[in-house]
Amino acid sequence: MQQTKAQPTFWITRQMLVLFAVLGTMPLWAESVGLYQYLGVEIVIWMIFALGFNLLLGYTGLPSFGHGAFFGLGAYAFGLVQHELAVSLWLGLLGAVALAAAGGGLVACFLSHRRGIYFALMSIAFGQVFWFVAIKWHAVTGGEDGLLNIPRPAFDFGVGHLALDNNTALFYFVLAVLAVVIIGLWRLVHSPFGKVIQAVKQNEMRTAFVGYNVWLFKWSAFTISAAVAGLAGGLFAMAQESAYPDVMSLHASGFVVMMTLIGGGFVSFWGPVIGAAVFFLARDLLGSMTETWLLWYGLMFMAVVVFKPEGIAGAWQDMVKRRSSGRERGGHAGAALAAQLKR
Amino acid sequence: MDALLNLLPHIINGISLGLLFALIALGFMLIVGVMELINLAHGSLFALGAYAAMLIISPDPAWFGPLGQWYLGLPLTLRYIVGIALAPALVAIVGFGLEFCMRRTYGKDPLYGLLLTFGAAMVLEESIRLFWGSGEQVMPVPQAVSGAFLFGDLIYSRYRFFAAGFAVAVILLVWLFLERTPYGAIIKAGAHDSEMVRALGINLTRLRLYVFGFGASLAAIAGIVMTPIWGLRPHVGVDAVVPAFLIIVLGGVGSFWGAVIAGVLVGLVVGLTGAYASEWSLLSMYLLLIAVVTFRARGLFGKKSMLEA
Amino acid sequence: MSKKTSVTRRSALKALGGVSLGGAAFYGPWKHNRVYAAASDKPLKIGITSDASGQYANSGASDRRGMHMAIEEFNAKGGINGRKIETIHIDTETTPATGSRAAERLISREECGFLIGAVSSGVANAISQVAQKYGCVYLNTNSSSPTESGENAHRVKFVWDGNGNNFAQAAVNNAMTAYGKDWLLLTNDYVWGHNTSAATRKLVDKYGGSIVDEILVPQGTRDFSSILLKVQQAKPSVVAAAVGGDDQKAMRQQVAQLGLGENMAWINNQQDWPDVYGLPLENLFGVFGTTWYYKLGLPGVSEFVARYQAMYPETAMQVPGNVFYNGYMATRELLSACERAGSTNNIKVIKELEQLKVSAEDRMQHHDAWMNPNTHQMQQTIYLATANHGAEDKDDMFKILSNSSPEAVQDKTADAAANLEPYEATPSYEA
Repeated sequence: MQQTKAQPTFWITRQMLVLFAVLGTMPLWAESVGLYQYLGVEIVIWMIFALGFNLLLGYTGLPSFGHGAFFGLGAYAFGLVQHELAVSLWLGLLGAVALAAAGGGLVACFLSHRRGIYFALMSIAFGQVFWFVAIKWHAVTGGEDGLLNIPRPAFDFGVGHLALDNNTALFYFVLAVLAVVIIGLWRLVHSPFGKVIQAVKQNEMRTAFVGYNVWLFKWSAFTISAAVAGLAGGLFAMAQESAYPDVMSLHASGFVVMMTLIGGGFVSFWGPVIGAAVFFLARDLLGSMTETWLLWYGLMFMAVVVFKPEGIAGAWQDMVKRRSSGRERGGHAGAALAAQLKR
Repeated sequence: MDALLNLLPHIINGISLGLLFALIALGFMLIVGVMELINLAHGSLFALGAYAAMLIISPDPAWFGPLGQWYLGLPLTLRYIVGIALAPALVAIVGFGLEFCMRRTYGKDPLYGLLLTFGAAMVLEESIRLFWGSGEQVMPVPQAVSGAFLFGDLIYSRYRFFAAGFAVAVILLVWLFLERTPYGAIIKAGAHDSEMVRALGINLTRLRLYVFGFGASLAAIAGIVMTPIWGLRPHVGVDAVVPAFLIIVLGGVGSFWGAVIAGVLVGLVVGLTGAYASEWSLLSMYLLLIAVVTFRARGLFGKKSMLEA
Repeated sequence: MSKKTSVTRRSALKALGGVSLGGAAFYGPWKHNRVYAAASDKPLKIGITSDASGQYANSGASDRRGMHMAIEEFNAKGGINGRKIETIHIDTETTPATGSRAAERLISREECGFLIGAVSSGVANAISQVAQKYGCVYLNTNSSSPTESGENAHRVKFVWDGNGNNFAQAAVNNAMTAYGKDWLLLTNDYVWGHNTSAATRKLVDKYGGSIVDEILVPQGTRDFSSILLKVQQAKPSVVAAAVGGDDQKAMRQQVAQLGLGENMAWINNQQDWPDVYGLPLENLFGVFGTTWYYKLGLPGVSEFVARYQAMYPETAMQVPGNVFYNGYMATRELLSACERAGSTNNIKVIKELEQLKVSAEDRMQHHDAWMNPNTHQMQQTIYLATANHGAEDKDDMFKILSNSSPEAVQDKTADAAANLEPYEATPSYEA
């Protein structure tokens, strides 16, 4: 992590604009490069999930391997609100965030005085408990078959409303949510809170000596991250029109770790965003070409770890750095960009 | 009295199951204890060991012509012994290869090693599927240890007791190796303080290579022993890696006997809930873990680990 | 897998090797496919949604072989209404969430006219929900959960396997007269297990038996020792097991080890051929159900087996089983329905399939089969079988004990539970 000088943080940065421009125009070009709209919806949802996850992994240094549980809690909460309370987008998403935050807050009580391997292993154990309950509690969750026929409520903004039945409309909605999450998290990690959790990552004991309540900061980071996961889960239930227990499994929890690291979550705010896109695009591409896609997929991960553990964002930063140092003088623009890609 | 008589078989069964769990966790424990690496490929190495042994015990007769015919004519017990001796060695070689890839992650965040083994697990599983197909396989077991016997008025599996006995033997051998040989001393020193080991002029690179290979071959042994009970399919490894990690956390990272005791404890809990509240038998081990770790932060016998930093 | 696919796969891999994993890669093979599709007089595209990894990978492969054989036969005749049939397969990973995504992709990106394939009911559900949204006809080839043609039935979905209820009806009465009235249920603790055991329980009550105990087996159980001890302690006259997937495989192994198969009367709901093929006969204990067997001794069966062997000479499974059969029959009937309708309009095809009747001869079963228009489940002969000890041929593993007509084993609860969407609510399209 770089010691950042005290400089004003902007609400909106250049990277954000680039990302929104690329994603915002996606419905126009997706088909012509062989993608499909629904894939875009899932990718954006997982970007939200991974960004929230990276608050915990990349910024606080806490490796949770049970985060799928909160994604799943969000999905079930969204579905249950639609089925039992009212067909409402806002109520559903609110329920998703609230239940996941509550679940996260509870688990965080057990985990917040853990570090490293014990934290990782305990998070797996809690994740498994949630997964098991989801499968076991048929009456509420639909068990193995999941919660089916979840409606996609319309986007109601007081004066009018917009149906989200079609995937393009839903895509723009989840993109808007992504924008809010990105701006929110960007502000958060550059706030005093963000500085403290990064200090916790670097040296927990020293942070405690300085006088911060480390437990509380870890607890908050975990809970916020779980809440974001729940938000993503709620959107996922909407996209799939169902909620399944599989998203809570160890595998799904592992996937979010993978995409965050592959993208470069340790070195860049944007790592999870890049990672989620690469993760799904590679999977979709390989899956359509070969039945043994898992083999190539696994090899891809191994190759990234062996050759470029800092992930794709890391590789990008290196490239920019190399280019700017090569152009001894006029390297300002490149260096500035590289600095921007850092957090 | 009646209730007690009813209970007794379940306790015996739970302990034998627990010894098997401990065996499954052994290789995982060694790697996490010495190298501070969570080896998610443990399950795939477990499966690979079983497949390799199966190949050695009953190879396709078409492959080696008359030599194959002669080999298949040998008694099953002999081939079984060859399999259980040779397959772990082959898996150790795969382990060496994996450790070689791992070298670039040393000194970095331990998550990278974990991610690498996650990828390796996928690759191994899919390779198994490519080579052996995705169908269910059966490993032949020598007559002497198969079949069942009657005790009281209940039927028990002979193989199960053989397997539990085998697990005890392997656990003791590994312990003797770690405690009573100079190699074991080096490994333990490496777990304790790698800087010191290097200062003493021991080649740390080679130590890690051997430890990983050893851990992989222990995974393979567990796979061979468990196959006649669980059956064999490419994704069987998932069933091994989850209990393994759980037992390690419960016992405490870096503690040999902690892992063994935790294994037996998990076996007992799973066995007893299986008998009296079977629907909770899978969840019970997680609840046990959470209950224990809430009060004892580093598991039953855990010490402070580098990985906590 | 046929030779042809392996060639395309290899070239596809070469294409992957050639491009880095940047954005440019995504122009590669897909663009090419499109041009091809446009040039060849619009072939009929069928999406195959079946598991190539996870619990049901092996059954999924068998299922796919069945579909490919039927499609190859139609292509050899010149396709459907003059159009060639093409397939594209996506691995559904035995995971519902992946099933949803695969279905979205196959329908909206690949523009597949029909989707075929399922072994797991969770995946089948997920796919059918997406398919219904687009009106895409979907064949659930091999998932035997009663809910598939009950509460989760859809207008676009057709179910081709017998379900847990059918098998229970075929088995319970017979077993009770043969073995006794004290039954123990071994129930996998998820939707399929509960439904199947509920059906068994109802029938046991009806015929005057009693349930001494019901042991719930959590999904993912690998060690059955304590459960098997408990079963022995309860001393029932019959054990009716509704345990599926990998759990069943592990259980079978452990029951065989104890020799419990001979010591107790077991009813196993259904045994899929890919799950048991090549295993020792001790693993095949008790009485179990199936929809088809390769040695049924009916006209046409041996020719069918010969066609299988000619097409898949290198497959480990040397004779076809029920999963292959279901995959083949479902695909064949879909394509025949397109031919009879003279169209690939989905609503026309649905209506054609709803009045489907297949003679016993064409089905290679003992009784005529028919599609139930209310539940969309194929009503077919259900066989009871047991291990065939003493057969000369190692593949001849089953001994068929009895056959029941579709009417005798009809799942009446499904009729009440199924609620198909009206035609008007199902989007219409030309495939």
